[in-house]
Amino acid sequence: MFTALVAFLAALAAYVPYSLTSRPRGGSALGLTYGITGYGIMLFAGLLGARKKVPVWRLGRAQSWMRGHIWFGLLTLPMILFHSGFARGGPLTSLLMLLLCVVFLSGLTGAAIQHFVPGLMKSMVPLETIYEEIPRVREQLRAEADNLVRLCFRHPEGKLEPALVSAPASFPRAASGTEPEEMVEMEAEEREYFRDVYGNMILPFLKNPGRRESVLANTEKAGAFFEALRRRLPASVHGSIDDLENICEEERQLSRQQSLYLWLHGWLLVHVPLSIALIVLGGIHAVEALRY
Amino acid sequence: MTQIELTIDGKAVTVDEGTSVFDAARLHGIPVPVLCHQQNERPIGVCRVCSVDCGERVLQASCVRPAENGMKVETNSDKVKKARRMLIELLMSDHPSPCARQRQSGDCELEMLAAAEGITAPRFAKRISPRGQDNSSLVISVDHEACILCDRCIRGCDEVRHNDVLGRRGKGYNAGIAFDLSQPMGKSSCVSCGECMVSCPTGALTNKSVIQTVLPNGTPVRADELKQLPFFRNVSGTFLDLNGNAVIKRHFKAGDIMCREGEYGSTAFYILEGKVQIFLATPMAHVTTGGGVSGFIQKLTSRLTGSAEKPGTHHSRPTSIQIDAPVDLEYNNPVAELGPGDLFGEMTCMNLYPRSATVRASTDCVMLEMLRNVLDVIQRNKTMRAELELNYRRRALDDHLRTVPLFAGLSREFVESLATKVELVRLSKGDVICRQGEIADAFYLVRIGFVKVTEERTGGDLVLAYLGKGGYFGEIGLLTTRGLRTATVTALDHVELVRIDGKEFHEMLELVPSIKRDLMAVAREREEQNKRHMGAVNAITLDSFLSQGLMESNSLLLIDLDKCTRCDNCVRACADAHDGVTRLIREGLRFDNYLVATSCRQCRDPLCMVGCPVGSIRRRNSLEIVIEDWCVGCGLCARNCPYGNINMHPFEAMVKDLPQGQKAVVSYKATSCDLCSEHAEPSCVYACPHDAAHRVDPNEFFKNYSGAKITELS
Repeated sequence: MFTALVAFLAALAAYVPYSLTSRPRGGSALGLTYGITGYGIMLFAGLLGARKKVPVWRLGRAQSWMRGHIWFGLLTLPMILFHSGFARGGPLTSLLMLLLCVVFLSGLTGAAIQHFVPGLMKSMVPLETIYEEIPRVREQLRAEADNLVRLCFRHPEGKLEPALVSAPASFPRAASGTEPEEMVEMEAEEREYFRDVYGNMILPFLKNPGRRESVLANTEKAGAFFEALRRRLPASVHGSIDDLENICEEERQLSRQQSLYLWLHGWLLVHVPLSIALIVLGGIHAVEALRY
Repeated sequence: MTQIELTIDGKAVTVDEGTSVFDAARLHGIPVPVLCHQQNERPIGVCRVCSVDCGERVLQASCVRPAENGMKVETNSDKVKKARRMLIELLMSDHPSPCARQRQSGDCELEMLAAAEGITAPRFAKRISPRGQDNSSLVISVDHEACILCDRCIRGCDEVRHNDVLGRRGKGYNAGIAFDLSQPMGKSSCVSCGECMVSCPTGALTNKSVIQTVLPNGTPVRADELKQLPFFRNVSGTFLDLNGNAVIKRHFKAGDIMCREGEYGSTAFYILEGKVQIFLATPMAHVTTGGGVSGFIQKLTSRLTGSAEKPGTHHSRPTSIQIDAPVDLEYNNPVAELGPGDLFGEMTCMNLYPRSATVRASTDCVMLEMLRNVLDVIQRNKTMRAELELNYRRRALDDHLRTVPLFAGLSREFVESLATKVELVRLSKGDVICRQGEIADAFYLVRIGFVKVTEERTGGDLVLAYLGKGGYFGEIGLLTTRGLRTATVTALDHVELVRIDGKEFHEMLELVPSIKRDLMAVAREREEQNKRHMGAVNAITLDSFLSQGLMESNSLLLIDLDKCTRCDNCVRACADAHDGVTRLIREGLRFDNYLVATSCRQCRDPLCMVGCPVGSIRRRNSLEIVIEDWCVGCGLCARNCPYGNINMHPFEAMVKDLPQGQKAVVSYKATSCDLCSEHAEPSCVYACPHDAAHRVDPNEFFKNYSGAKITELS
């Protein structure tokens, strides 16, 4: 940071008398120096991506590269502005300036996001898992919920109730070898209610946890919903309801993780391709300007 | 011989002078019940159940009362019957009915007598203080509660077998039978001949039968057949009879595989005829993954790379691999041959560890495959033990001593002379080999099994190390001026040690000063290491760390969750550093702001190292735990790791010795974080662009942690 600040101050110190004594131009010696420095910094910043491709190569710690990327990256905008003399120029240079601004701003945004969002993720998603594993974890949660409910829908003989058999195709069915050992006592009416609630409220949420209109997508509403369910159903199923509530909470956390993860890395979809475009077009601009 | 005449129950009988009343009655078909006496033993008259009325003031124990001329004996008078009934009732009041023998075969002599007398519930109260059971022997179960102190077992052991192991202990109400100086049977010098068991009239000494276990693919061998073989010559026929299915004879054709490395087994093999080749089929290499972009594709493309050391790796590779046989395998050519008279698979059989090597018949072979109880009896037999030890001294001791780096430079003659002087020591699980603070008198080398080295501390013992085959201990006490043991060493399972007496040890040091120098260095290093451990334990104050087991680690991979952007560069770096196979999973328990990643913790108490059949998981001097390339993929270390930090990585291997030719199968190798020891910093930490990943010395962490950032501590 210190080096970048010194470089910025030096560039500024050179630019002020230069701009006061003459009209700043990219083709002047100082203008070219600014341009070459700015482009060099862009190339260096772009090398971070290449550095990440070879993490084991001992080319300096990745953290040092990242710091250099950020702090020297901040220098690019003033350098290019000094290079251009704050003029827009032709179509290519205008495009380059636009690209630089977007890359610069997206970089700043990204830095801010990556500074604050990890903390949010930590506090908002205590049950965080590996991002790529989320679909698999969701499958497991659904299976767990199905199994919990299945335990509540059994005759004393251990057979599934007919009502359950006629439930939607995705409704839990007995899996061989997983026969429960204990039965839950419930009135037929209560059982029917539980079946409806699970089939029409909980299961759709578990299948599509991203649906914002679902009551269960909101922590407070979900709490009230499960509280009402506990009041309506006998104590013998309260344990299962608690577990279902926890499963829904985990689903919400996974949804939160997904959206935070997209925030964490989504900005790169703008920053990286535009950076590449900027470097390529910047190169073309340099060749064109120096040659012609 | 002079004949005498007497009358028994009104019947005139003539017997030789000196005959007991009991024998006189028995010879003439008059039954006299008895418990403490049997024909092949000297009568001692302790149970008094055989009491008869000889017309004297008191009843006489007929087994010890010599018959006299003109004697009138009543064996079944009311007086006799009343006394006998009282005796049986008293014995029954102190007998757990039904006892083990009564339950097993329904022939407990005491309970049969009681039944004959119509005694169901004794009138007398049972004893309050229990006498207990002893299940330490692999073959005989001892139930002191059922013992009636008839001493038949003692006479069987001392007078019939001349083993002199059994005797009496205690007096009066506390009296009982005892092995050696009242040791548990399994730890005594008992050779498990079984004589006591067949002598016992009750369920006090019963056979731990393996009748239910039927070894497959072989022919059970009859006891008399086994007795013809030199290997079983001195084993009790009674025992062999009782364990008929525990030994089978197996025939193998040349090329047949007897056992494979990594498999679990419970038997040992003794070669009767033919030769076998013993080798490691698993390639000497590490698993690598190349070319793929996703985990799935990478797994499909797993392969093995050569075992060449990476540049910068400074640890010395052992010259041999320790296996469960009387020979070691050379690292560069891991193949050896065994022949008639060799026994292999002892460690698997005694400790149920995975097989350490694959064994293939070089020629047509005849083998005896035996279960643990039989092997134990054989090893307890003094003659057989001597033969096995001689074989070991002749075949392997020299190599074994040389596997200790310190002895590698000794001359062949010296090692040979040392081999004749060392003592082979055999211990059972839980036996203390040496205790902290004792005078150091010997140096030990582990031959079979695992030992635990602990230091006694206020609040509990601290585990300093686990040592398996090839490990050694005892040098610190011998080298320091105080001459005291600095740690306690305990057998974790069936352990066999090579004991070098202190005198021999010092002679060796005088002869070869370089060994002394090296040993001093090792001793100093171990002492330093122990001090570091102590410092760590003293610094621990955080209960929550204890609950997560973090205090047990030497090195933790922590990820600062406030900084980590979940970019997974650490995981990719780990995979890149280890040929495509990551040893790090960015998931685990959280503590405060940190994620304790699933990566080896280099535990102080590395349970993963216990039981490795080939010793491929080991600790380098710098404390990191490494899995060497001769891992046979049994998975024991992964199962032992309490934190799930060892992964079994699949790779495709060709098995060439199947009857249907060769076949590609999925084999496994264990992988674990090695801290990228060839680099100054682990790759995961080096590659983290956000300063979130840290390998932390928990000693420092525990000591200074008070809300400060980990970066300030590491």
